[in-house]
Amino acid sequence: MTYVVETANLTKIFGGKLIAVNNMNLEVEEGTIYGFLGPNGAGKTTVIRLLLGLIMPTAGSIKVFGERMNTNSAHLRKRIGYLPTNPKLSNKMTPITYLDFVGKLFSQSKDQRISMLSKLIRSVGLLPSASREVKGFSTGMVTRLGLAASLMNNPDLLLLDEPTSGLDPAGRKSTLDLIEELDKEKTIFVSSHILSDIDRICTHVGIINEGKLIYSGSIKEMKKHIQSNVLRLELDGDMNTFCNRLASIVGMADFERRGDFTVEISFVSDISTLKAIQDVIGLIVECNLDLISMNSSTSRIEDAFLKLLEEEESRGFVRAI
Amino acid sequence: MDSSEQFRFIEWPMPFLAIVQADLQNLFRSRITYGWLIVGVFLQVIRVLSAPAAIGTAIIVVQGLSDFIFIWSMLIIGITASAVSSETGELADSIMSKSVRRHDYIMAKFTSRIMYVMTIYSLISAVLVGASLRMMENDYDTNGLVAALLLVALALVMLTTLGVTLSMVTSNTVISIVSLLVLWYSMTIFLPLLDLEFMSPSSMINELPDIIQGVWNGEEWKIATSFGGISIITMALSVLYFSTKDL
Repeated sequence: MTYVVETANLTKIFGGKLIAVNNMNLEVEEGTIYGFLGPNGAGKTTVIRLLLGLIMPTAGSIKVFGERMNTNSAHLRKRIGYLPTNPKLSNKMTPITYLDFVGKLFSQSKDQRISMLSKLIRSVGLLPSASREVKGFSTGMVTRLGLAASLMNNPDLLLLDEPTSGLDPAGRKSTLDLIEELDKEKTIFVSSHILSDIDRICTHVGIINEGKLIYSGSIKEMKKHIQSNVLRLELDGDMNTFCNRLASIVGMADFERRGDFTVEISFVSDISTLKAIQDVIGLIVECNLDLISMNSSTSRIEDAFLKLLEEEESRGFVRAI
Repeated sequence: MDSSEQFRFIEWPMPFLAIVQADLQNLFRSRITYGWLIVGVFLQVIRVLSAPAAIGTAIIVVQGLSDFIFIWSMLIIGITASAVSSETGELADSIMSKSVRRHDYIMAKFTSRIMYVMTIYSLISAVLVGASLRMMENDYDTNGLVAALLLVALALVMLTTLGVTLSMVTSNTVISIVSLLVLWYSMTIFLPLLDLEFMSPSSMINELPDIIQGVWNGEEWKIATSFGGISIITMALSVLYFSTKDL
């Protein structure tokens, strides 16, 4: 198995006061889209800056493409694309001059730069604003330009730091669409605290809390980890009768009403969930209710994420071992 | 030769040149540059026109050059002490996250700021020297005049390197400007008291009339060596420091 990113006991302490990254062992396989999840201030951006060699670890080591990363590893950064959160760009530049400048920083020839930047400006939908100064750009336009800049060197590894932060729903969708469209051969490392974004685009996930990696693996494995057989129903009609009769369903462990229309039903784990769901649907029909929506909580990454955070925090002192 | 070595030898100049070019473009497009050039040239022309011809080339040139040490130095401090700190946000995002090595960046900053200051200095001092040679009684020695111009240039290079260094160390424009103002003017005041006047820009100005008239006393070499030495040592320490700095 080839790892594009490998860290061993990676630790970063700022000014001897703040432990931003705590003894992290992270492995990112080649060709995966790795979601890096964590609450605000968990240390996601610090890890990305460490991977880029912008800051040096206090302890531990970082390998990118099998080589040790440090502040002067320009030859490794040549294979990495980076999109920071809300990229800060020179206001006086236009998308064309900015991407040309980025191309020069990657030592690309003029032909390479021109061909790449014209392709990317079109891809990110900035063609009408290609010669406008960046200072008048919206957050979404700056993010799209940042994404174009991160692809100028046709990188093998793409580091995206909260790419949808500050974007409206349309901007978010178009940014996620762009990421999904990227070459499947690239390894993509996306940090975010927006779980639905990670769920949509990632194959693997790592969860960081207070600088510590508390989970790393595939999204499927993560969801299995919290399998709890919960069915969430949104119904219209006489909910009281329905709830009173729920107790008669074999295998139902518990139910909870959430507001006027929603009920969450959990089942014991050793029965056939399919049979239980069939019984619940039969009951809906008998009670003459309209089914507005139905989903299984087992598929929700939010639940998995929160459960892992709760588990981690409940371990108390044992977390340090 | 492995791939990283090839990279080092073949592709080294491009990121460096790109940063120099972008920085110079920003500087020369700014209103400060136009204002400085217009006011600087105007002051030199007025100085030469309003002085009696008998005063001589040497005194007028020294007066004009001292503007750079005492007045324009404030502008140079503002421009150089913001070289790195003014782009703290975009430094990591737009530049250092790309295929740029730390010394490429910091040397590019030194190069562009020195080129900028020297270009403005050359243009304004060319007007000063040209006008005074034409209008004043000639009491100068050509070698001495060139040496005087070079000594002031060295003082400005030293100020520029100190400014870029402070800007990189503090990462805060206001702090670096204030620190450089204190450093520059305390060099002028305190170094003569410590018997180190050859390192003081104001003492250098006092030596200039003799140097322009071709009277050499050996101090000019001490001044040149100290200014050049401080600049080189500052640049070397900056490169070392910036190589390990967290961005």
